[in-house]
Amino acid sequence: MKLIKDFVNQLDADISLDDRMIVEKGNRYFLLDENLRKIAKKEFFYAGIYLGKAKKGKFFPSFILLKMIAQHKANKIIVDSKTEWLFICGRDVFKKGITNVTGSKQKGAYTLILNKHDECLGFGKILDNFDESREKVAVENISDIGDFLRREKQLD
Amino acid sequence: MSGKEFFVKRYEKLGWQFQETEPKQAIRINTTNTKEEALVERLESHEIELEKIPFLNHGYWISKSKFSAGATSEYLLGLYSIQEAAAQIPATLFTEAKNKTLLDACAAPGGKTVQLADLMSNTGAIIALDIEKRRLIALSNHLERCNIKNTIVYNMDVRSVSQLKITFNKILLDVPCSGNFTTDKDWFRRRTIKDVERNARLQREILTEATKVLKDDGEMVYSTCSLEPEENEMNIDWAINSLDLQVEKIDCYGENALSTIFGKKLDSSVENCRRIWPGKTQGFFVCKLKKRGDAR
Repeated sequence: MKLIKDFVNQLDADISLDDRMIVEKGNRYFLLDENLRKIAKKEFFYAGIYLGKAKKGKFFPSFILLKMIAQHKANKIIVDSKTEWLFICGRDVFKKGITNVTGSKQKGAYTLILNKHDECLGFGKILDNFDESREKVAVENISDIGDFLRREKQLD
Repeated sequence: MSGKEFFVKRYEKLGWQFQETEPKQAIRINTTNTKEEALVERLESHEIELEKIPFLNHGYWISKSKFSAGATSEYLLGLYSIQEAAAQIPATLFTEAKNKTLLDACAAPGGKTVQLADLMSNTGAIIALDIEKRRLIALSNHLERCNIKNTIVYNMDVRSVSQLKITFNKILLDVPCSGNFTTDKDWFRRRTIKDVERNARLQREILTEATKVLKDDGEMVYSTCSLEPEENEMNIDWAINSLDLQVEKIDCYGENALSTIFGKKLDSSVENCRRIWPGKTQGFFVCKLKKRGDAR
């Protein structure tokens, strides 16, 4: 649970997750409401809200968790349509593609990347040249929803 | 007993003249995640031309598109799912499902599971099973993409579902079946009547086990994408004679199912099922069954 909380803190997010509702299954974490907790057997494969997985001491958030965080106060960057598409294709965010910033601009801080409809596309890490040239990378892509396509390809 | 000629003759005996068809790709809007009108506008701005499917509430055919419908931001955000038109029908046949406990018995890759969760506005609980672990990964990805929060997935053969010790208000049995030629180019070359009979036996085993965990007065929707009567009308005739089930009338796309198959008369209530011959959609069969509480 600490891994999840640490991740949420890195986004300066104002969201609290009830530890008692979080179920660890192998290296994956799920949030179950009372109703699901009552009927879920321990051998489930997936249940309730998938929060993410831990690997070598690092937490990899699910896109559902990122969407949940995006509904609250947190570090957020809104990007234009062209940057949205490039980000989904796994590219970093250039400053010229950013239309709005909420929260931290500090080097090393994590930030959610949102499109113009306020929909969460993933997250990244702010680089040190955030306030410099428009032509430089401002946010390094860590995870984006294009991952669903990449996962589908792996399954084929 | 196989080959195109053999099956096409069977279809003629059932009253359908074979024709090659290629149904259009269809999508279903996940209304829990977005507003329908706004999404249609967004997709049209990407030059994806949509045509409302007249017999579905949130379904659209893709008439023209420069892009793959599975590679837009809106798809990756879970605002819609790619789901064949006929395959969108079964989940819509349940009466109010919110806050209920549902079983999706053969769930992967999860199109209907997501649709059920959408109809339930993520309330209640869906127990989704699939026998193949590899397919559960696709199912889980689908649930994550579409922001589904009310589902528990097990790697389980539905024929063992009693082990969960849960009784269900509603059960979706979109059972493994022989499929049909519209979605498999090699269908006529690969399929034999023996496959059809084997699948029909498996489907009866699934119907039997599912009936055990259905609450009295509970609803069960049975569907296949097979055109073969052994997997459809004949199985339902068997089910109403062997299990505590009755066929309910439904109002949806398709024709009344057949109550006489190759000269054999079935229970007249089987007509209340729907048979969809390939055309605008793929071939499909669907019906709604209710457990007769008084027959126990």
